Amino acid sequence: MTPISFVIILIALTGHAAGELFLKRAMDTSNAVGFRSRKFVAPFTAGIVLMTVQFFLGLGLLQRYDLSFIYPFQGLNVILITIAAAVLLREKLTLQLVIGSALISAGIVLVSFS
Amino acid sequence: MATQNKPSGFANPSLHLALSILFVTIYELLLKRGAIDTAHLSDRWAWTGVTGLASPYVWLAILFVILSLITWLHVLRYIPLSLAFPISQVVHVLVPLCSWLFLGESIIDLRWYGIALVSLGLAVVAKPVARLEERL
Repeated sequence: MTPISFVIILIALTGHAAGELFLKRAMDTSNAVGFRSRKFVAPFTAGIVLMTVQFFLGLGLLQRYDLSFIYPFQGLNVILITIAAAVLLREKLTLQLVIGSALISAGIVLVSFS
Repeated sequence: MATQNKPSGFANPSLHLALSILFVTIYELLLKRGAIDTAHLSDRWAWTGVTGLASPYVWLAILFVILSLITWLHVLRYIPLSLAFPISQVVHVLVPLCSWLFLGESIIDLRWYGIALVSLGLAVVAKPVARLEERL
């Protein structure tokens, strides 16, 4: 893997995590204000843009690496997104969720290293 | 947290979570097929991934991306992200297994252990889900 590929993987990962958080915020807001309010449209647009960017960066990586090698890198996002959702969106974390997420992340990293 | 009363029938968010996972698995395999077919195209723009659009597999994959997004957005309306996202990671078991079955990629021992560890983590995460189901 070249250093540039590594940077692209990092950008794709953080873009994905931020995109998920924006979409979750948007859908939570939609329950209260509906789909026309700027409070929904702004985070929804940000989420869609970030998801689109990470989609094409991921596609570029797929052209150069095996799917079963590249795809699992996204698994690092499990622990990142779980914690970010707790901190930034104030979701309730249970010990089970943290342990489970950590196990999933560890398993995915193991898959990636092989 | 905006977790409303859970709708039943086709609007059931758990059903949408399952559908979303299925669609993600399908689009990942289609994307890889499309990426293989277009890997030889122009070096200059290859890093952006847009050359993949030359393959019909990629367009079909995009359809499944949209379907998975719609079902996922429905999931997000009712299930906390810190719960739904770890569950959605069952794709990390399904995608390597399907890459092995359908794309002929090989899975070495270490990768099988990784898949087992992900499955274990999913089992741990699934417990709070069972409780959530009871509550709803």
